Amino acid sequence: MKPAKFCAAALVMLLSIMLVAGCAGSRDGANGEENGAAGETGTLVFTANGEEFAREGFLTKDGWEITFDHAYVTLSNITAYQTDPPYDVDQGWEINYEVKVELPGTYTVDLSDPGADPAVVAEETAAPAGKYNALSWNLVRAADGPAAGSVLLLAGRAARGEEEIEFVIRLNEEVAYLGGEYIGDQRKGLLTAGGSAELEMTFHFDHLFGDGTEDENDPLNLDALGFDPLAALAVDGKVEVNTAALRESLDSENFELLQAIMIHLAHVGEGHCLARFLE
Amino acid sequence: MISKKTAAILTAIGLLLLPNAAAAHGVELSYETVQGIEITARYDSGEPMAGGQVTVYAPDNPADPWLTGTCDDAGKFFFTPDPEQPGWWEVQVRLAGHGDLIRIETGAGGGPAADGTGFTTLQKLVMVLAVAWGLAGTALFFSRRKS
Repeated sequence: MKPAKFCAAALVMLLSIMLVAGCAGSRDGANGEENGAAGETGTLVFTANGEEFAREGFLTKDGWEITFDHAYVTLSNITAYQTDPPYDVDQGWEINYEVKVELPGTYTVDLSDPGADPAVVAEETAAPAGKYNALSWNLVRAADGPAAGSVLLLAGRAARGEEEIEFVIRLNEEVAYLGGEYIGDQRKGLLTAGGSAELEMTFHFDHLFGDGTEDENDPLNLDALGFDPLAALAVDGKVEVNTAALRESLDSENFELLQAIMIHLAHVGEGHCLARFLE
Repeated sequence: MISKKTAAILTAIGLLLLPNAAAAHGVELSYETVQGIEITARYDSGEPMAGGQVTVYAPDNPADPWLTGTCDDAGKFFFTPDPEQPGWWEVQVRLAGHGDLIRIETGAGGGPAADGTGFTTLQKLVMVLAVAWGLAGTALFFSRRKS
């Protein structure tokens, strides 16, 4: 073979390398297929869930039977992401995404509503199809309505033996959360073209009060505030406090514990989130 | 009345049959070497997630569980991915309100992917041949005689 022909053949082979490499790249594109071709969309349903603890009440680590009349959370900057490789909270706050869906607006939902299993916050009907495996949102002060001024408002009753206390707890400090893929007994966030998929912001209220059905030395209970420190603030059988009042009334150890609980309160299903106070 | 000779023959036959009868209640063990994946699940504290509920999702169907199981006391769980389904396997481990998910890439044959390039063996072979041919062609080009 003449050198010129050999060189031409080599050029053909070089082009074939690029073709082969291109084919390999389309395997990630298979992810892209899973993600749906460009222009294919579906409905992404954003939900919030306080689980049975919020809807049905529960026994705290210190023996109080708690029931909620209301468990309002106010949510904003809700954003879903398609990430590949998948986002992991160990990466920190930097998130590299291929698709991002931002839900405009601020929403207050009552997680104690028996029908809030989970509560639908809002829908995005033109979300690109694909696998949404990260979610971020802010817990913000409600501008108006029954939870005005609070990021989290818990109202209800606590009973232990003959004692009954009515409570209204208004927490006012805003928090940002960022979590990875939903962890639970079903997959969430897999959106097919023309279909719908749920994403869930999950709040674990047993982290705040503890769980009396678990061992007292369970890490959940060791890290929970319980209800006793709040019951100690009752006047005429009623506790009505906000974050500022709790900062003044609780001992510093319990207030710091409350702050830490706010950081660990939100999950994506059972998957932990990064969290930080916004002020 | 059975004769002594007949009795001896029957006894001999019985003794011959006895091992077979015993074998019917025996245990047979065999083994097969397989490639597999062992998951270890621990809490942040380092404590093993003993009894953790494991759900494995296959690359071809990430929506429905391909396998479910439970971690042992050391928080370990072993499974053999389907070699017919190369790609990203996802394993979720949950227990008492805590959980996480890990992704594992397998290549053809079910083993872990050799590297993170995403190229198949055939693709790599074609590339090696092409590069070798390209180098040879370049060498010939510069060594050609001027006419």
